[in-house]
Amino acid sequence: MKSTINRCKSMINIAMMPVLLAASTALYAQKKPNNSPNLTPCYMEGLSDRLMCGSIAQPLSDDPNDGVIDIHFAVIPAIKPSNPDEAVLGFAGGPGQGAIDLAAIFNRNLRFARETRDIVLVDQRGTGYSHQLQCDSDDLKTQFVFNDVIADLQAMGAEDTQKCKAKLNIDLSHFTTPVAAKDFEAVRKALGYKGFHLFGVSYGTRIAQEYMRQFPESVLTSTLDGVVPMQQSLAAIGGAIDGSLAALFKRCEADTLCAEHYPNLENNFHALLAQLEQQPVKTQVRHPRTHDVIAFTITKMKFYSAIRFALYSQAQRAIVPMVIEKALSGDFSPLAGMMANVDLTEALAMGMHNAIVCGEDWPNLTPQTRQEYGKTYMGKAMIAGFDIACPILNVQAVDKAFYQPLKTSTPTLLLSGGRDPATPASWAELAMVEMTNATHLVAPTATHGVGSQTCAPKIIAKFIAQQSMQDIDTDCLEEPNDKPFFMNINGVAVANKQLTDTANKE
Amino acid sequence: MINLLKVLYKKEVMDASRDKRSIMAGLYYAIGAPIGMCLLMSVLLQQLASPEALNINIENSERAPGLIAHLNSQDIFASHDENERKAITLTISEDYQQKMSEGRPATVTLIADKSDDKLRKHITQVEKAIALYSSEIASLRLVSRGVDPSLMRAIALEVHDQATPDSKGGMILGIVVLTLILALFYAAMNLAIDTSAGERERNSLSLLLSHPLHSLHIVLAKIGAITTFSMLGLVVILVVSKFSYAMVPWQQMGFSITITPEFMLFSIAICLPIALMSASLQVFVSFMAKSFKEAQSYVTMVLFIPMALSMITTYDIATDKVQWLPIAAQQFALMEFIKGNPIPVPQLLLSTVITLVLFAAFSFLSARMLKSEKVVFGL
Repeated sequence: MKSTINRCKSMINIAMMPVLLAASTALYAQKKPNNSPNLTPCYMEGLSDRLMCGSIAQPLSDDPNDGVIDIHFAVIPAIKPSNPDEAVLGFAGGPGQGAIDLAAIFNRNLRFARETRDIVLVDQRGTGYSHQLQCDSDDLKTQFVFNDVIADLQAMGAEDTQKCKAKLNIDLSHFTTPVAAKDFEAVRKALGYKGFHLFGVSYGTRIAQEYMRQFPESVLTSTLDGVVPMQQSLAAIGGAIDGSLAALFKRCEADTLCAEHYPNLENNFHALLAQLEQQPVKTQVRHPRTHDVIAFTITKMKFYSAIRFALYSQAQRAIVPMVIEKALSGDFSPLAGMMANVDLTEALAMGMHNAIVCGEDWPNLTPQTRQEYGKTYMGKAMIAGFDIACPILNVQAVDKAFYQPLKTSTPTLLLSGGRDPATPASWAELAMVEMTNATHLVAPTATHGVGSQTCAPKIIAKFIAQQSMQDIDTDCLEEPNDKPFFMNINGVAVANKQLTDTANKE
Repeated sequence: MINLLKVLYKKEVMDASRDKRSIMAGLYYAIGAPIGMCLLMSVLLQQLASPEALNINIENSERAPGLIAHLNSQDIFASHDENERKAITLTISEDYQQKMSEGRPATVTLIADKSDDKLRKHITQVEKAIALYSSEIASLRLVSRGVDPSLMRAIALEVHDQATPDSKGGMILGIVVLTLILALFYAAMNLAIDTSAGERERNSLSLLLSHPLHSLHIVLAKIGAITTFSMLGLVVILVVSKFSYAMVPWQQMGFSITITPEFMLFSIAICLPIALMSASLQVFVSFMAKSFKEAQSYVTMVLFIPMALSMITTYDIATDKVQWLPIAAQQFALMEFIKGNPIPVPQLLLSTVITLVLFAAFSFLSARMLKSEKVVFGL
């Protein structure tokens, strides 16, 4: 029905993307020399500190005839290098995000850990500067007008997958998680660190676990934030999205003001989805940046996806009830505003993304799991997308042992957000069944990526410093960090009736 | 002649080392200054590292629950207890909710005394927290209208800071180097006065001069002994600094101060001419004075000049011309070295030459003074 790789249906691509680290990025690094472990100063967007960038050549595959690819990395130097033998290794999410581009975010979340240890960021093969596998994507205008209901998505998806495959012209089997883990070890050796403290976010927790499995001696501690268990396909994400959305509706119901302003919100939302499924709405909106009048086709997939991505951010969650109510009354500009910044096909290397999902998340789907995940709207769409793209891409399935839960006694800290629309707390519980030295913390109101919310950066730094969770006070994670809902288009506060009347006179 | 100088130097050093208490008194500064400073900074950093929640007075807080929740998330809380809260008052205006829902700027008044230095930091904290809330609401207002809020950022200013953690210490680095240079002057100050004005008061100076010796030899031997003790002071302060500065958690402030062996050798090389100059200056001033007590006062006063030069550099108020002067230039070179920046070689060379010329001049003048009976007998 739909495709994962898709040139003219970027909005639909977004629907397929299992997990991600919410952050927008752009290329901003200085040119780095190839095939040289020499470190040169470089700067990344949003971070004024000077980093050291470099790259190493890694064989593409076991066959020497396949040649090498450059694996790029950046080191954020410690403020006071009291532990020069150790570094914190950050893994980006996606799959498909480059870690180096996210230097500012890693620096912020690991700021306390950085006081005494370097932070190392490696662009996983296929992402960022390390042989990025990117397919073409659409501009916002095309995305806005595209109607995913009437189009023959199966044929289009297949065609675009073929195009992307031809463009990349490389065997994607060399870009799966087990292969990529070896690059990180090579970087560790090249930089001369005795051990890494791992910090993985979202999909980054999967590669972190694989790295722990392959190179247990190189890992001092591991912090997994938004945990993806090895046993489970990312297609299970549908349940997480619905759960996070249900939590939002429940919170609004429990809030007197919100319940009063947006009565029956959950039912209204589902009614609207049903309506859009039957008949997509065709309208016009102003382009969010150019202000031109552009055509806007609202389908169920587009609407649901926009709401889905708003669930990642505490600020955007605050306007979800209002966006739904406005859409019900036929005003879709708030929806357009929410979609304006979701340009994920640019931020994610889609070729690498598909190598991962087709090599790891598609082959282990069973009739039972297909049925189970297919119960949710997004799960069903995602599986359908896999079924179109993966046979074309022909990525070699990973070994069965890959799906075993990680057995480890390395100190491990697992973090989950109680309202996470991607990796709920139950996923972390599943991941830690064979971990003998693991602590799981849940921040009840946090969304995806606890490391950037509440007081988590301090807890992570203490855990890294003492290599255990003993005596670390984690109460501060309990503090609510959600934001009050918007009650009208202007903000959280509501005036009393009389004042609203005077406002209406304007 | 060299032999003669050696004997004289030996005599001076032996003389000086007999009074162990006085030597130790000179070295107390070298040991105490870095340790004292580190203790002070550690206490200060501890306060910065665990900032207490800021309690302020918020009036009509029930009108702006969203703002209050945001302030709480930034560790700013409303408190009714006047004793535990800071003298900052936030007043939510009566029409806050009306203005907010109409999309007009809603007024919040901050009442505080900005001349109160202790309060200023907290006022900034409150201002920043409110600005953040304001821009967050504004962004969501734009999104709600279908406008990309990034339009509000016409320019994305990307700063490429060339500083390293070692060079960000700024003022503190300056103070570190200042304590080093002051050690040169203070460690052997007692000795300088004792070996000149003191020797005259004990009447052993005339005895020394009655030998068939050139007065310049006597002066140079004295300067040599004083220099030895100043350099000893420098070595002590460097070693103490190396260990004590390493124990302060500077990284919490985003920089580090590391005294490397290379820096220690570099400072010893740079400071030797200063030590010579300081010794000759102190001897000269002491001979000028009529008595021991007078010498003490004069030396202390004269030492203000090198101190001022050093401080000018520390507090970065030096003009480009001052950077060529002795001590200021050496101090600047030491600071650049510790930061890992290139050293200003021409300034350093010129000032070193000037320092040595001053040393020669003071030595020569002291030697000439010793030919006058007025000086020798303190008449």
